[in-house]
Amino acid sequence: MEVLGRFFNVFLIAATLRTTAPILLVGLGGSFTTKAGIFNIGLEGQMLVGAFFAVVGTIFSGSPWIGVLCGVSAATALALAFALLVVTFEANEIVVGLALNILASGVTISLLKGIFGTRGSIFGHGLVGLPIVHLPYAREFGWFGQVVSGFTPLVYVAFLLVPVLNTFYRRTRLGLHLRVVGEKPEAAEALGISIVKIRYIASLLCGVLAGLAGAHLSLGYTTMFTENMSSGRGFMAVAILIFSNGDPLKILLGCLLFGFSDALSLRLQTSGVSSYLVLSLPYLVALAVLFALSYQARPRLIRETAATMARAVTFQSKTAADDLAASKG
Amino acid sequence: MGQRLEALSGQALAILFALILGAVVIVAVGENPVRVLVTLLNGAFGSPERIAGTLLQATPILVCGVAACISLRAGLFNIGIEGQLFMGGFAAAWVGFSFSLPPVIHLLAAMAFAVFAGVAWIALPAFFRTRYNANEVVSTILGNYVAVLVTSYLTINIFKRPGGLPETPPILPTAYLPEFFSFSRLNWGLFIGIALAIGAQFVFQRTARGYAISEMGANAKFAEYGGIDIRRQGFLILLASGAVGGLAGGIEALGVHRRFMEGFAPGFGFDGVIAALLANGSPIGTIATALFFGALRSGSLLLEVDTTASREIITVIQALIILAVSAQIKLRRGASDSMAGERRWKF
Repeated sequence: MEVLGRFFNVFLIAATLRTTAPILLVGLGGSFTTKAGIFNIGLEGQMLVGAFFAVVGTIFSGSPWIGVLCGVSAATALALAFALLVVTFEANEIVVGLALNILASGVTISLLKGIFGTRGSIFGHGLVGLPIVHLPYAREFGWFGQVVSGFTPLVYVAFLLVPVLNTFYRRTRLGLHLRVVGEKPEAAEALGISIVKIRYIASLLCGVLAGLAGAHLSLGYTTMFTENMSSGRGFMAVAILIFSNGDPLKILLGCLLFGFSDALSLRLQTSGVSSYLVLSLPYLVALAVLFALSYQARPRLIRETAATMARAVTFQSKTAADDLAASKG
Repeated sequence: MGQRLEALSGQALAILFALILGAVVIVAVGENPVRVLVTLLNGAFGSPERIAGTLLQATPILVCGVAACISLRAGLFNIGIEGQLFMGGFAAAWVGFSFSLPPVIHLLAAMAFAVFAGVAWIALPAFFRTRYNANEVVSTILGNYVAVLVTSYLTINIFKRPGGLPETPPILPTAYLPEFFSFSRLNWGLFIGIALAIGAQFVFQRTARGYAISEMGANAKFAEYGGIDIRRQGFLILLASGAVGGLAGGIEALGVHRRFMEGFAPGFGFDGVIAALLANGSPIGTIATALFFGALRSGSLLLEVDTTASREIITVIQALIILAVSAQIKLRRGASDSMAGERRWKF
């Protein structure tokens, strides 16, 4: 009985890691734009074209890796359009993001019909998914080995990116530039950093990771493409980005929460609860967290304002601009 | 006058550019753009029935568009109109099939429930937006997914009509929103939409409350210093927007479908938002853009029959137009030094 209980837990943990990966990838992508001070509601659409072109690329080339490349390229192209309109033409980011999401949905459905002559979803046609990675020596670590081994490669990429990005924002020149542009654009200008260039770079990097997230969705998480298969993950990622402020560790925490509610809802579906109610669980969790943390953030906002004023008085501010100055000096 | 002409010609150029890009997409999916255009026009205006169909499709887009205009005017984004439409539609249908009331009272009761459901659905996002600054764009979008799933649950698990189809029992004739012609479901909803648009325009332009709302949208800080309670006003504006969104669902349920079913009115809420954006937040302008989008939608029905292109090609065209115009807003800012119209987009 005890063994059975543990297996239940082990499988639930493994399922959580599996469901966390797509939203984690797109969330980490969004951290670039969030850090650079752009509110990017277009993640959903970038993920969707990533998923679609990953499938198209795989079917036409026979290699899922070329498919991933196609997906990433398509998502990056959409990100370029976003940057062009938002950064260069200074159009409203919400309007552009929403329109690009609608565009992504319409283009993928139209092309699905145009190329394959079907509606709804596409699988078969020689579509192969990404290979499963069996970590060496995983068996020797008992249940832990079972949990961490046997995923498709992009799952590992997603989790490895968390420490990588954390270091990126703290230690590298580009990471600091991104933060300065987002936190204090005036300071960035004074330091001679090109705001336009940094925001373009952030948007494109975001597109790359959103494309990876989409490719993972259609080649790793499942091996098919379905109309609107990103099903709000991009929007949930935006909710996470709002309260994590783009910090990779907080994004990981938020994504694990959604991954868990996703895994739980998949499990509950087999237990006889109405699938409609169960499927709404991740969205409700996202809403609850958004509301709860906005409530939490209120006193902090006042505290932070007070702290900023105190810092301004004592000239001991510690912003990204100072980090940058310290790294230069 | 010259400035306005310049702005209009810029807008026209942007739309032309979007249409050219749309033609490229149509070629990419292996169709002839001219044939698609002719089919769209034929499907939208080819016969009295089809013209009525266009107006029928334009009705919910117009009502949802007015809902979007109301929130945009105050600098707020209610993207959850789709969800309010689903909740309002279900509430109206529920009153329609569950109760037996005298004719006019039944209709009014069902409409009132639709409005109430829309208000209820936006109440939490509105409260947390105006009180604790929780981003309303994300919360209303996430609410859409929940609304679709919850109404599906209610329809299929609780109120399903005996028989195979995933729909509720039909509403009683006493709750019907009357139609104009025998050959179309075109109903009084169109006039409700036009009246709402004119009413909203009047409130925005001719009343003190409307001025306060526009002021808040143009510059919330300034409005606050001017003595406007922007939290209370923002909350009420979002509730009003949700009420109109719920009404749109009621019109669809009582005037067109006469029941609630899965996949009820897909995408009208989003179409309404982009119709309002294309009209730059003007309710009167939304009448024109809603008719345009209604014609596209109506034409797209024939598209699937007569060509190999899918009807989603029209959402591509709509999105491209919005993108082209979104860039245009900046150009227009250069053309005139008045910021009032533009500041509404920044918040």
